[in-house]
Amino acid sequence: MVEIVPRLLRDQLKKLAENDSRIDGRNRFERREINLETNILTNAEGSSKVSWGGTVVYAGVKFSLREPYSDRPADGSLMTSAELRPVAHLRYEPGPPSPESIELGRVVDRGIRESGCIELSSLCVVPGESVWNVNLDIHVMSDDGNIFDACALAGIAALRTATVPAEKHDVGEDHPLPVSKTPIMCSYKKVGGRFVYDPNEQEELGGDERIHITLGDDGHVHSLQKGLKGTFSTAEFAEIFDNASTQAAELRNLIEEKVN
Amino acid sequence: MGGYGDVELIKENGERLDGRLADELRPIKIEVGVLPAARGSCRMTWGLNIAEVAVYGPMEAHPRKIQRPDRAVLDVRYNMAPFSTSDRIRPGFNRRSREISKVTAEALESIVMVEMFPRSKIRVEIEILCAEAGTRCCGITAAAVALADAGIPMKDLLVSVAAGKINDVVVLDLDKAEDNYGQADLPVGIMPNTEELAFLQMDGDLSPEEFNLAMEYNMKAAKEIHKLQVEALKSKYTGGLE
Repeated sequence: MVEIVPRLLRDQLKKLAENDSRIDGRNRFERREINLETNILTNAEGSSKVSWGGTVVYAGVKFSLREPYSDRPADGSLMTSAELRPVAHLRYEPGPPSPESIELGRVVDRGIRESGCIELSSLCVVPGESVWNVNLDIHVMSDDGNIFDACALAGIAALRTATVPAEKHDVGEDHPLPVSKTPIMCSYKKVGGRFVYDPNEQEELGGDERIHITLGDDGHVHSLQKGLKGTFSTAEFAEIFDNASTQAAELRNLIEEKVN
Repeated sequence: MGGYGDVELIKENGERLDGRLADELRPIKIEVGVLPAARGSCRMTWGLNIAEVAVYGPMEAHPRKIQRPDRAVLDVRYNMAPFSTSDRIRPGFNRRSREISKVTAEALESIVMVEMFPRSKIRVEIEILCAEAGTRCCGITAAAVALADAGIPMKDLLVSVAAGKINDVVVLDLDKAEDNYGQADLPVGIMPNTEELAFLQMDGDLSPEEFNLAMEYNMKAAKEIHKLQVEALKSKYTGGLE
């Protein structure tokens, strides 16, 4: 497809960047308003809805019992998937998952998994016989930009509110899923020659490379991903990495408020 | 239908297990404009069911073989989120969701003025986020509202609702237990102004008299739900949205 509109948009975004402003009037590192709701879906064992600007994402947690793998007889498992469904935007067509959709799912999964927020040994029911498999499914309903951060936030919020349905499976009493950490993803996009936090849809359309950073409670980094065409300097990275820890702390507070 | 007519679903005082009377609907809430990326959208909660619908288009129909020289085609997808049911369902289409998508598209094509948009397509994406029996009715009813919200010209709205039979009694709007252990289910799609039917399915066992009573319940309920559809659409423009 010949992208004529994005070229005009790129010019506009460049001019705005020269005046240190953004297309929706925000500062470089200002995020849009977020509304987080938890435990809103009856049939999920943990759930959340994130409205982030015009982006809307749901996450749901389901549990199932399975036999453990023979090399890890006392470990359960966590499977995270995020999918770009055609409901979310005009440009998403039905069919097998696109490379973009697969990247989204894998990057969100890595941030949650590598933070170690769920101890896999805590998912053991009977060693060598049965363990819990935790399925975290993230459903993007409306894409108005920065779905990566919205998916990661919805994902960890749903896990934090999940209840292990032991009674239904006749293996003891229901109890909260132990989640020891709260990983937070912060995404930046090169727009008009400099990085901005929380890009909206137009900035994604008329910008260049993006960088996703997932930080744990202690400020340690758990996943990084650079996406799309473009290059950046170590100084640029240092600036956004520094900003990410501020953003992550704010978002972590938001979750703590809703979950406790 | 499970066909287990012997499971007790109606109490001695004539109430159903959740306290409803035979011709009573579950609580319903309809909101429009809930998905900012879509041209038109609707969220409907119906009992414990939650459906959200996005409408995109009219746009050029691709692939070209689906184009019709004299009208628009409706590209409808009904999809259940993996976490919408008590056991997780694998993402992707199955035979059930394909059939529901097909009959929903045909119902909506009957009310949309498709001849105004030759060679184009209108995408309707129905996502079921929580399912407790009656999701197809919830999806179709919400889809009609989302189409109207998108400004697509239509002959009428469409209300889909189901009546059925439990313990040999005809009842309106089966919940999950009633659906699992009931004897019949009759979902229909009614154009509220003309009372024509654009959608009809049924399974189970109904006598002609029971069928007539079930249709009577459905027709009455369609009028009630239509009011909620119209209120939701109006409230977008009168500041009634929360």
